[in-house]
Amino acid sequence: MPAQFLQEDDFKARLDAGLWWRIFLRALHLKRYLIPLAIAAVIIAVCDAAFALVTRWVIDGVILQGSAAPFDRYIAVYLTLTVLLCAGIWLFIDMAGNISNRLAHDIRRDCFDRLQQLEFAFFDTRPVGWLITRLTSDCDRLARIISWGFLDIVWGLTFLFMIAVCLLIMNWKLGLIVIAIVPPLAVISRFFQKRMLLSAREIRKFNSQITAGYNESISGVRTTKTLVREAENLAEFRQLSAHMFGASVLNARQNALYYPIVTTLGSLAAGLALWRGGWLTLNDGLTLGTLVAFVNFAGMFFNPINSLAQKLTEMQGAQAAGERVMGLLATEPAIKDTPTVMARLAHDHSADPSLGQDGFPRKIDTIEFRHVAFHYESGPVVLHDLNLTVNAGETIALVGPSGGGKSTIVSLVCRFYEPVSGQILINGTDYRERSLAWLQSQLGIVLQTPHLFKGTIRENIRYGRLDATDAEVETAARLVNAHEFITQLEAGYDSPVGEGGNRLSTGQRQLLSFARALLANPQLFVMDEATSSIDTETEQLIQRGLETIFSGRISFVIAHRLSTIRRADRILVITQGRIEESGTHEELLLRRGHYYELYTSQFRREREEAVLEASAGETR
Amino acid sequence: MFSQVQVIWFLMRGHRLRYGSALGCLVLATIINFGIPLIGSATIDYAVAGKTLAPDTPVLLTLILHLFGGADHLRAHLWLAPVAMVLLAAFSGLFSYLKGWQAALASDGIARRLKDELYDHLNHLPARYHDRTDTGDLVQRCTSDVETTRQFLATQVMEIGNAIFLAGAALPLLLSLSVPMTLVSFALIGPIAIYAYFYFRSVKHVFKEVDEAEGALTAVIQENLTGIRVVRAFARQDFERAKFAVPNARYRDRSLRMLRLMSWYWSISDFVALTQIGLTLLVGAWWITQGTFSVGLLFAFISYLGIMLWPVRQMGRILTDLGKTTVALTRIREILAVARDSEPAVTPHLPGSSFTGRIAVRDLHFHHASATLPTDGRGALNGLSFDVHSGETLALLGPSGAGKSTLMHLLLRLYDYTQGSIQFDGHELSSLPRQWVRARIGVVMQEPFLFSKTLRDNLRLGGGDAPDPEIEAAARAACIHDTILTFKHGYNTLIGERGITLSGGQRQRVAIARAILKRPPLLILDDAMSAIDAETETLILNALKERRGRATTLVIAHRLSTLVHADRVLVLDHGRIIQTGTHAELSAQAGLYRRLWQIQTSLETDLQSELKAT
Repeated sequence: MPAQFLQEDDFKARLDAGLWWRIFLRALHLKRYLIPLAIAAVIIAVCDAAFALVTRWVIDGVILQGSAAPFDRYIAVYLTLTVLLCAGIWLFIDMAGNISNRLAHDIRRDCFDRLQQLEFAFFDTRPVGWLITRLTSDCDRLARIISWGFLDIVWGLTFLFMIAVCLLIMNWKLGLIVIAIVPPLAVISRFFQKRMLLSAREIRKFNSQITAGYNESISGVRTTKTLVREAENLAEFRQLSAHMFGASVLNARQNALYYPIVTTLGSLAAGLALWRGGWLTLNDGLTLGTLVAFVNFAGMFFNPINSLAQKLTEMQGAQAAGERVMGLLATEPAIKDTPTVMARLAHDHSADPSLGQDGFPRKIDTIEFRHVAFHYESGPVVLHDLNLTVNAGETIALVGPSGGGKSTIVSLVCRFYEPVSGQILINGTDYRERSLAWLQSQLGIVLQTPHLFKGTIRENIRYGRLDATDAEVETAARLVNAHEFITQLEAGYDSPVGEGGNRLSTGQRQLLSFARALLANPQLFVMDEATSSIDTETEQLIQRGLETIFSGRISFVIAHRLSTIRRADRILVITQGRIEESGTHEELLLRRGHYYELYTSQFRREREEAVLEASAGETR
Repeated sequence: MFSQVQVIWFLMRGHRLRYGSALGCLVLATIINFGIPLIGSATIDYAVAGKTLAPDTPVLLTLILHLFGGADHLRAHLWLAPVAMVLLAAFSGLFSYLKGWQAALASDGIARRLKDELYDHLNHLPARYHDRTDTGDLVQRCTSDVETTRQFLATQVMEIGNAIFLAGAALPLLLSLSVPMTLVSFALIGPIAIYAYFYFRSVKHVFKEVDEAEGALTAVIQENLTGIRVVRAFARQDFERAKFAVPNARYRDRSLRMLRLMSWYWSISDFVALTQIGLTLLVGAWWITQGTFSVGLLFAFISYLGIMLWPVRQMGRILTDLGKTTVALTRIREILAVARDSEPAVTPHLPGSSFTGRIAVRDLHFHHASATLPTDGRGALNGLSFDVHSGETLALLGPSGAGKSTLMHLLLRLYDYTQGSIQFDGHELSSLPRQWVRARIGVVMQEPFLFSKTLRDNLRLGGGDAPDPEIEAAARAACIHDTILTFKHGYNTLIGERGITLSGGQRQRVAIARAILKRPPLLILDDAMSAIDAETETLILNALKERRGRATTLVIAHRLSTLVHADRVLVLDHGRIIQTGTHAELSAQAGLYRRLWQIQTSLETDLQSELKAT
């Protein structure tokens, strides 16, 4: 796993406005929520400021007019403002919620869509857990920042503007004195927000180390016990938990320091207002209501500045997440149909049933590797100058040591990867000139660890052909000898297979994946045979199932079991990216080379297992 | 509710003083904070508006004016009031900082202690417990449940203290300023608190639904990504998109529903809060016109309302969090309540470090008691008796489920036998401390566990502070030295999640080197060379013979090439010994061992005949 993917939360010192703008553009089509949100933000900001003015109006009114003051109007205005403000609050939560959730939904959908198109090389370097985080918390986080950030920015700026205008209109000299508090407030807020973000990141870092520590200690508990390492492990863990403690307390202290400092600054502003305002009231006819309003306004600056600073910092913290998600959306699949192929696909070829949708013959007669070389992204060369021709109906077994290149050959056939140099030809045409979707719909694949999806057995088999009837599903299951074990299950074909198929044994899963592949009726069949021990009975079932599948197709099998190897029309021994030996079972045995060695050691292992298994059955 | 408080009180042990001082600081900060509006009020009324002191002036205001040298003095030196306000704010801030610090020390201290306790406890729980528990679940309890608890302890406990204090201190203060105004100002506080509580209680299930919808969404993404090869193999992208759209939309809609509920909550509770402020403002204003109230007092009351409304609205959330914390604490305590591995009450006489590797097993019985483990008798022992001599190499052969690994686990005291006896140098195993026993046994399992440390540190786990040459010698004996040197960082190569991944055979060899380095009187190899080729295996076994001196070795193996190195072979089946003898003796007897031995010879003949047949 490349190290850069483990870096979850890099703090970006510079805010990339372009990136956030691009993300914001994705929210633009949610106009019918964005506009009300902006309106709500302005309403709230205006109401917030208006309340202080109403207080001033009431106080001045009662002082000047006494009981003649228009109380009915006070009540009416106050009530109106309250209702407006609450409606604004209701509106902004609802609208921001809509934008946030809809945006997250859309970005997530687009990411998912992109992942369905990207080639395997993309997945080779990115762990599943890493991708899941991109699609879940990263999408949510970005959408949240965009929606609530938009709200906070509109609200904060309007509110600041309103306060400033009110102060300056009421008394511009006194107003300027109070407004002078804004720059230091802004600087201090930014300073602390950044520190707090950094220490919060530190906490997350230690937290994931602690999680890893628990994980390791629990899965390695036997080893710890047998090595008598309990005390040493605890000592190591204590260091981790002490670091975590330190980081967490530091973060709490920053928080505890930040709020008092800004509230003290707020009182400083209020104090200044009281001092200068009091003097003005005494000597210059400033009304008492205005004085109270000034003191109130002075205390209000903190909120909008705090939330603006917070949003800015949050964006800095989430910038890495933004880059990753936008990067994913911008990644173009490396393996896709060329413009020529797309043009051919646009034509209607359905008049001639012998043609595929890309206008080339539907039937696959030959597959040819011509000087194919391959290496994974910046890795060592896996295949060297491979030449091979396979004809319709042939079964090819690939054997050899692990890492020799067997799986790569199979992946190239399926066009999960493309050759780095050389060509793969289908019926003499380079397969890059044919449609990817056409080729992959001709494939049937059974992998070493057969993957099933959560759901019933029927659903899993039907994955091979979505419009297959129940009867066809059953026929496929019968052909691969899976019907018997399925009907023995409590719910038969409707039995759930569990997550990843974990309610079934490996052998049973393999049979289901055969049925699934058979139902697709592919022209090309590819299998990576499992070595994991399967009992003799299942082995026989599988072999009979295989017979059905192999007949009449081109099959590539990465074979481990002798029975499969022997059945192949041609056996290729692949070592270090080259075809070391090639021929039928008998030819290769007579040669007494690499294949002979592989075969005899495998033979011995299978026999030894058989003897042990037989003995276990004997005495039972 | 009471038992919940009790549990939290117990949790706080050792940190109660910290909490006390945090609460003290909180009270001081609040009291000082309450002084600020009072100064503003006194200044506005008596210095600016020119009101005069009267017998009915609240005591506190009289006191404040007195401190400022009287209303006239204050009017002449108006700067005194703001300076006092800023000073008070700074002092209040200082105490609130101290409060935050102390509370963090206490709550993080408790969380840290909980984590350490859990870690240590998990390491000391019986192997049996770990057989039936799920790692993911345990980790979840140790991390997120502890975090839930910590958050509650850090913030909510203080909030509760704050609320209690506010109710207790603010009320008398306000009453001393003006009794009728206090009644007006508190008119809607009760309804807000009750509304908040019932609201959060009734929407709890909505929060849960959102969590569940998110879980379902994650599950679908995970399934798609782990099965991406199958998706491509059948070109099922469109099907998968449609499958994904459902939970994606569901999660969106659930979250929206929760937010809509929140929007109602906040707008209604804001409405009530604003109505309360408005009520105070207008009633106060009316009373001012009647001459029974003053602008300064009104200012003070409105300021206090601002301070108090927030915690009141938070109460509902705090109570919901208390529920969550109780669940988390129960899950944590479930782990801590499991009894650790028992140790013999008295160990009258330890054989010192001079264990010679002599073992006597008599009529040994063992059955797996756990419900989740095989109950068909696999791995059970049904009366096993044999002796191992000091320095002997004994091989165990048998089909899987015969009880070979169980025997190893009993020797290591990972499980305790139910009947019969095992003696080390004549001492009954169950009377020896587990750690003493394990310190004298080197064991290598089929799938050895390596820690995510450097290779050198992993090897050192066996031999304390062994010097580098000794580590290398052990690595050489296990045929892993040359492989290690091919890595870029050699012995300093990090392995595991953050480093490189070793193959099965490499891991087995590292584990063998680790065991060699431990220099144990008894070495157990539990199918430890299954992923190592026969040639290397012979090299390692020969190196072990040369090095080990008097070490007793028990080998579980399936391969004949391993078995021929043993002095003696025991053939196990169904928890019983069915054959025993040397290689020569067993290959002469009919039975499992001979059948294995014959494969070797029959292989060549079979191949010949197969070739002839074609």
